[in-house]
Amino acid sequence: MAALGQPAPAHTAFAEARFLAVLDRPLVVSGELSWLGGDRLQRRVEHPQHETATIADGEVTQLRDGRSPRHFSLKRAPQLQVLLDSFVALLSGDAARLQQAFEIRQRGDAAGAWTLTLVPRDAKVAKTVASIRIDGYAKESRCMHMQEADGDLAVDLLGSLAARMPAEPTREALAALCQGMP
Amino acid sequence: MPGYALSMRAGARATLLLAWLLALAGLGWMVSQRLHVSTDLRSFMPAPTTPDQRLLMEQVGEGPGSRLLLVSIRGQSDAALAALSQGLAAALKEDRRYSQVLNGNFDLGALDERLLPYRYLLSPTLDTQPLDEGYLAEQLQQRLDDLSSPAASLLKGLLPRDPTLEVLKLAESWAPAKSPELREGVWFSPQGEALLLVQTVAAGFDPGAQQQAIDGIRRAFAALPGSAGAKLELSGPGYFSVVAGAQTRNQADWIGRISTVGFITLLLLAYRSLSSLLLSALPIASAALAGIATLTVAFPEVHGITLAFGFTLLGVAQEYPIRVLSHRRAGEDAVASVRALWPLLLTAIASACIAYLAFYASGVNGLKQLAVFTIVGLLVAGFSTRYLLPHLLPGRVRDVADMRWLVKARRFVDRLPRPRWIPVAVAAAIVLMLALARGPFWQDNLAALTPLPQDLLQRDARLREALGAPDVRYLLVLQAPSEQGVLALSERLQPRVDALLAQHAADALELPSRYLPTLALQRERQAKLPDRATLQHALDAAARGLPFRADLFQPFVDDVQTARGLPPLTPQRYAQTPLGQRLAAMLVERDGHWLGLGTVSGVHDVAALQALGADTNGAVRLLDLKAASESLVVDYRTRILQALLAAAVLLVLTIALALRSLRRAWHVLAPMTLATFLVLAVERATGIEISLFHLVALILAGGLGLHYALFFERDTGDPAEQRRTLHATIVCVLSALLVFGMLAWATIPVLRAIGLTVSLGVAFHFCLSILMAPHARQD
Repeated sequence: MAALGQPAPAHTAFAEARFLAVLDRPLVVSGELSWLGGDRLQRRVEHPQHETATIADGEVTQLRDGRSPRHFSLKRAPQLQVLLDSFVALLSGDAARLQQAFEIRQRGDAAGAWTLTLVPRDAKVAKTVASIRIDGYAKESRCMHMQEADGDLAVDLLGSLAARMPAEPTREALAALCQGMP
Repeated sequence: MPGYALSMRAGARATLLLAWLLALAGLGWMVSQRLHVSTDLRSFMPAPTTPDQRLLMEQVGEGPGSRLLLVSIRGQSDAALAALSQGLAAALKEDRRYSQVLNGNFDLGALDERLLPYRYLLSPTLDTQPLDEGYLAEQLQQRLDDLSSPAASLLKGLLPRDPTLEVLKLAESWAPAKSPELREGVWFSPQGEALLLVQTVAAGFDPGAQQQAIDGIRRAFAALPGSAGAKLELSGPGYFSVVAGAQTRNQADWIGRISTVGFITLLLLAYRSLSSLLLSALPIASAALAGIATLTVAFPEVHGITLAFGFTLLGVAQEYPIRVLSHRRAGEDAVASVRALWPLLLTAIASACIAYLAFYASGVNGLKQLAVFTIVGLLVAGFSTRYLLPHLLPGRVRDVADMRWLVKARRFVDRLPRPRWIPVAVAAAIVLMLALARGPFWQDNLAALTPLPQDLLQRDARLREALGAPDVRYLLVLQAPSEQGVLALSERLQPRVDALLAQHAADALELPSRYLPTLALQRERQAKLPDRATLQHALDAAARGLPFRADLFQPFVDDVQTARGLPPLTPQRYAQTPLGQRLAAMLVERDGHWLGLGTVSGVHDVAALQALGADTNGAVRLLDLKAASESLVVDYRTRILQALLAAAVLLVLTIALALRSLRRAWHVLAPMTLATFLVLAVERATGIEISLFHLVALILAGGLGLHYALFFERDTGDPAEQRRTLHATIVCVLSALLVFGMLAWATIPVLRAIGLTVSLGVAFHFCLSILMAPHARQD
């Protein structure tokens, strides 16, 4: 896992598809994820609308064009907590932190295709986020699936894969994309 | 000697001693069963007369600001501190001693589940924005953006029922105007402490009840896992009243211990008899116990300050046994020697009691208690010294009159020049000193007498600033004939308040209408809610082209329909919820009209806030609690001064009647009066501002001075008896100087005030009564 570590700040492009029970079709956004070092993470959305969310010191600040910033506690957004824990741990190569926050299952081999499944240990977090699955190949993380407890799913295509997000994604198409060869 | 006939044998003496001790034990038991000490400062205050004073009395105890405790936790990692903050908040919320516990962890559902449909009547959205197709389309688009943002999980649950997020708008408007930084979901100060606000049910200036509330917080904190490594600190008016009380008690205790040892040593040196010493403590003990016992019978609660003042004033009674011990001749029976002293002692006791009667007439409950306690105490001490103590004293004593140093001392005193101009000179000096003294004469700020350590005040200012907690000093008071009238006034005032806040006249000003609009405004908003068909139609049109599931917003449509038929929310219904409780603290009914209390934080421009009340005929006014409390102290002082004046008149009459001579009365009263004013003048000349405590101390010194003057004035024509008088007076003066002189070194001003005043008083009374004693001049 340490092999995945990168020095901060680390940036990666992402494209995310969200499959939500309240919606008929998935929501797709794309932009850039940045680890700013420490417990600070930024998620910048460029399409379809500009929006920047910054996590720092347990608080989330959300900035959207033409609106006043919104602040809320990280405690109230377990998804972000999970994203922060997994992302920062992976990028900083901090296996101990990952172990502390999640139960980890690993498949595949470090030189080829691998899958890391993370189940939150915190019962409160687990009520919202059932699990996270990260698909990767060699040193690159390619996909992140966040399975919410209520059945909603967010799939983030990372790095070079981000550009290959279909216009109308389905769960199956994304799964195939993530498991495919780079 | 006839006295011998009355003296008792050993067996009878033991019986008497046993009976006395048993009676004391009985009184002690009764007191322990019945005594209920009240620590609420308000019950010692005079009845308020002006509306502001009345409001002060309520606010001092029950005002939202004064019941607030500011809590900080530090010394651990942020995560650990946040967990402690959450744990403490959860524990205190269960406890009925606390009416509100805030730590920054706001629930989105701040509005009670049952009241959720009321959000359309409470939120200002409908004032400017109908729920039409255009507005809904814009809102739905924003929700779609929200769903793709990190906030999605926050909103997903709300979406079907509240697509316009009225609940969030309300939660935002109810959040403190200036909230501290949030870390790990709870408030943190810039210094990295977790912060909490706890409102106690107990009154702020009731140190006893506050002590319990503070102990409860400390216990709850100590019971939390992981609290051992963290430090909990408190601040706020309630905490301060506890600290000030403990500080004063602490210092009074150690000073008391030292001076008690000194006092005992002094008496042992003076009389060389342990049994005399122990026995002479009996009248004082009887006086104190009888005084308290009477209070427990006459009043439901005894005030702590009454007891403190009372014990101070009872110091006069220590003179009675000392006089008896000093005035015994060699071989003379104690009963006989008391009998010879009795007329003079009785005059002293009676005049003190009659003077203290004036306090009873003051009408202030605390002073009435003080009068009852001291009068009963002095009578018991006096009569037990006369009728019980002499039967117990050892038969053989040393006559102090033969002591060599005393003979010399008396000779020295007799040789002192006693020019007639002394009173005139002293009076002139007094007038001069009083006239030239700088600074205000009176100290009206009671808080200045028990000042708090500077670091505590700084911490309070820092936490208050970080928490945006309301100022304890100012309140914006709105008055109207009805509750709804107050809310309407508050609504009308809101735009002007907003403008003032924009100009930074204050950091925040919270009006009652922030939590609940008037019934009229709620009805107005209700009338703007569309019917089911119209809303459904607008919603369908707005959602066209958006990916929301069909029928997703059914709960929203249902809620709007419910809101259309709701009876508007009244404060009474609202009061069943936590927010309603907050509102209830801001609405007070009094004498057939209602008051709304707006809390102010961070006042920068008092005049601008006062201007809010201009042209409202008093319907809106800024209440300065500090000014009101000072005016209350002024009233209080006026009552005490009136009582003192009455006491002085009574004293003159009593002394003149008892001595049956105006000339003799003059010799007793003139030195006493001059000495009293001399103390006042010297204190003023050294820049001391006079407080209530100085006045009480002056009264005690006056009581002691009365004794000195009475005994020095007594012309027995017997040099030995003159020496005994001098001996008794010197012992009295030294013991008073010892006890109160120690207090004068205290660092707490209230103790210093009492100590310094009594010490100076005793010294001046002693000197002046010697110099103005009549017989020496006839030598």
